[in-house]
Formats: sequence, C-alpha cells, structure tokens
Amino acid sequence: MFSFLQRWREPIIVVALLIAPMVSFLSSGHRGREPNMVDSVVLAVSRPIQVALTWSFSKVTGAVSGYIALRGAHDEAQVCRSQLAESHAELNTLKEAEAENLRLKRALGYTETTTEPEILARIIGVNASPQSQSVRIDRGERDGVRVGMPVVTPDGVVGQIIRSVGSSADVMLLTDTASRIGALVERTRVRGSVAGAGDGHQLALEFVRREDDLVDNDVVLTSGTDGVFPRGLRIGTVQSVNRPTVGMFLGGRVSPTVDIDRVEEVLIIPIVRVSTAERREGVR
Amino acid sequence: MKFLSLTALALVLLSIEAVVVKSFGFDVTRIDVSVAIIVFIGLRGTTIEGAFTSFAVGYLLDVLTGRSTNLYPFLAVLVFLIAKATAQLVDGRSRIAFAIFTAGATFGHSLLAFLFTWLTSRSGEGRVLTLSGVPLQVLLSALAAALLYPILQKIEPGERPKPGVLQ
Repeated sequence: MFSFLQRWREPIIVVALLIAPMVSFLSSGHRGREPNMVDSVVLAVSRPIQVALTWSFSKVTGAVSGYIALRGAHDEAQVCRSQLAESHAELNTLKEAEAENLRLKRALGYTETTTEPEILARIIGVNASPQSQSVRIDRGERDGVRVGMPVVTPDGVVGQIIRSVGSSADVMLLTDTASRIGALVERTRVRGSVAGAGDGHQLALEFVRREDDLVDNDVVLTSGTDGVFPRGLRIGTVQSVNRPTVGMFLGGRVSPTVDIDRVEEVLIIPIVRVSTAERREGVR
Repeated sequence: MKFLSLTALALVLLSIEAVVVKSFGFDVTRIDVSVAIIVFIGLRGTTIEGAFTSFAVGYLLDVLTGRSTNLYPFLAVLVFLIAKATAQLVDGRSRIAFAIFTAGATFGHSLLAFLFTWLTSRSGEGRVLTLSGVPLQVLLSALAAALLYPILQKIEPGERPKPGVLQ
C-alpha cells in the first residue's frame, strides 16, 4: 500500500487538487460559502494595496479633470447657486412632509424598519470575475456593515452587501444576473421585479402583467417588498418595452440611474428589519 | 520559494487588476493576470509545484471574485495541466509564444467559467451576455502576459527542454 502511494504520489496529489474543489463547487459551493480564516487574511492583505492604488488613481485623475474643469467654472458656479436655492426650498417642503409622515406612523404604531445613520464607503476595486458583478468597498464588519444591507448613492440603488469581513465588504451590483429587486413604476404604481441583464450596464424589468401600463422613460423605484431595499429609491428609467405575443408578462429594459462605472463613494443603509413578532408588540 | 513568490505576485497583481478595471470602467471584461501566472508555471514548473501554485492562485482568484464558490481553484489546476501537456509538444518559452499561450488559456478559462456558472445558476439567459467581454479580455490578458514576462522569468528562469515534436 505504502509503495503504491509512493509510486503514484504525483498523480494522486494532482487529481486530489483537481477533484476536491470541483466536487465542492458542484455539491454546494456554487451557492457561495462563508469566508474562512484564509479568506480573511487574503482580503486583509489585498485591502491596503487597493486603497493605496485607488487613492493614487483618484488623485491623478482629480488633478487632470480639475485643471480641465477650471474652464467655464464661473458659469457652472452660477448654475449651481440657482439649483442650490431651488433644492433648499424643496428640502424644506420634504422636511415638513417627513415630520408629518413620522407623526402619522407613530399614531398608527407602524414600525417596519429602524434606521441608523448611513455608513459612507469608498469603492476600492472591482471583483475579479465577470460572472459575478460586484465591487469591493473599504468598510466592513468592524464598521457595522452586515450581509444584506442595501447600498445606494444619492442618485439611486447600487446593490446589496454579499460579504463583509474585517474592514472591507463586497457589494453585489444591481447589474449582476443574480440580483433581484422588488420594483414599482413611479407613474402608474405598477409592480414588477428588476434583475441584472448580464451585460454589466442594463437591467431587465420582469413580472409586469401584460395589461399593465408601461411606456419608455417611466421611472422605476424600489417597492420595498423584497425585504432588502426601502421603498422609493430610484432604480432606473425604462428604455424599451417588449410585449411578447404570448405569455402572462411583458418585459422591459431599464437603464440604471446610477452610473456604476463612475461611482466612487456609496452609502450603506444599516437597516435593521423588525420581525413580525416585534411589529405586533409595537402595535399593541 | 517559487510557490510563495508566485502566489504573492498573484495577490498583488489581482489587487492591482481590481483597481485598473474599475478605473477604466470595464463592465464585463477583466484582465486575467492569474491565468498568465498559471500558464507560466505550466510551461516551466514541475508537476507538483505547478499544481500547488495553480491551486493557490485559483484560490486567490476565487476569494477576490466576491462570492467564493471553489470553481476557480479547479479551473486553475485544469488550465495548468492543459498548459503542461501542451508544453510537451510546443515550445512556449519566448515572450510572444507565452502571450499567445495566455490568450488561448484566457479564452478557455473564460468559457469554462461561464459554462460551469451557467450550469449551476438559474439566470442562464443573462449570463450569456457576460461573454461579450471575452474578446477584449483575451487581448488584454495577452498584453499583460507580455508585460509580466520579465518579472516571471526572474522568478523561474527555466531551462530549454530537449528538442521534441514541433520544438
């Protein structure tokens, strides 16, 4: 037995290295696994390299674009000032609406979610496989980032946390084919679901009933029914509507509101979902 | 020692690749620096050393994809074995030959990664679109391999094999 192992040592080792990960992948691994200690070490070592490189890149591109942007800066400043004044007025109205909303919710004993201040994070890299559309951010478990938390920018939805280790985390982008977001058309309140189209920059609107009203340029928002994203965040704009001759549902192409390629900083919403039991307690 | 050097180099290169890909805004295109390292060790390394190095490099790639599935260590060892077998027939030691080998390996690696992910996921139709980035990926990986060649050669200078078929 020993001599057999000694004789076939090389092929046995190679076959084991080949077969073990394949079996693991085919059995349950393809669903993804929890990070182990080796993963944490790898991620901890690669983080400073990515942070330093991202910082250097942004400084260089910032200096170049800053110089170019100096041209016409005065005109732009004028436009910005008038937009700021408009935004202030809008903000005041929204604050009043929010206060009223909170008052009414308290009166109804309605506590679906509790939120803490958002966590600001910087994107430090794109993950290594096109099969998984995700990015890496410089905030992790230590900063309170947890798996499942929604990630947004002021423009709209970016994605969802899928892994959080130490001081970095991974965000599955809404353009990933595995991403599903409960959606609502702003104009008609028609419900559906938004998934990544697979090409890295478009989304597919699914499960909208054939008889529902959906046209180009309709704004799509989160419906809040997926248990991840709060209601009312912008997802994108309908680019085209596909009405198949058969079937229950129509389909559509949606262009994300957030320009994924240009996003540098994101906000993580630390939503703590309140369980049904807790909600009942709240109502009582 | 070579195992450690190549694994450390892979980690650094994959970290750099993540930033470069983000900065240039590639949607479904990556630069397969890990495949270049695996091909290199396949062309020059011994079987055991190469298998372990490929496994380690594949593991790193797997961790840095954001969703570890153990697919990439398997593909890495497979690509290594194919490169090793091909090296018995064709001499791929020059810079250009190495870049061509890497281009071929990147193509195969991308198709296999797509195939296995497609087989084990529900969103099959959408995944097909991820293949649109493969041609540019092959080109960029070949270019990266040509640029990395001097560094890799310092880690493993290698000796010329005895003349054989097509060599």
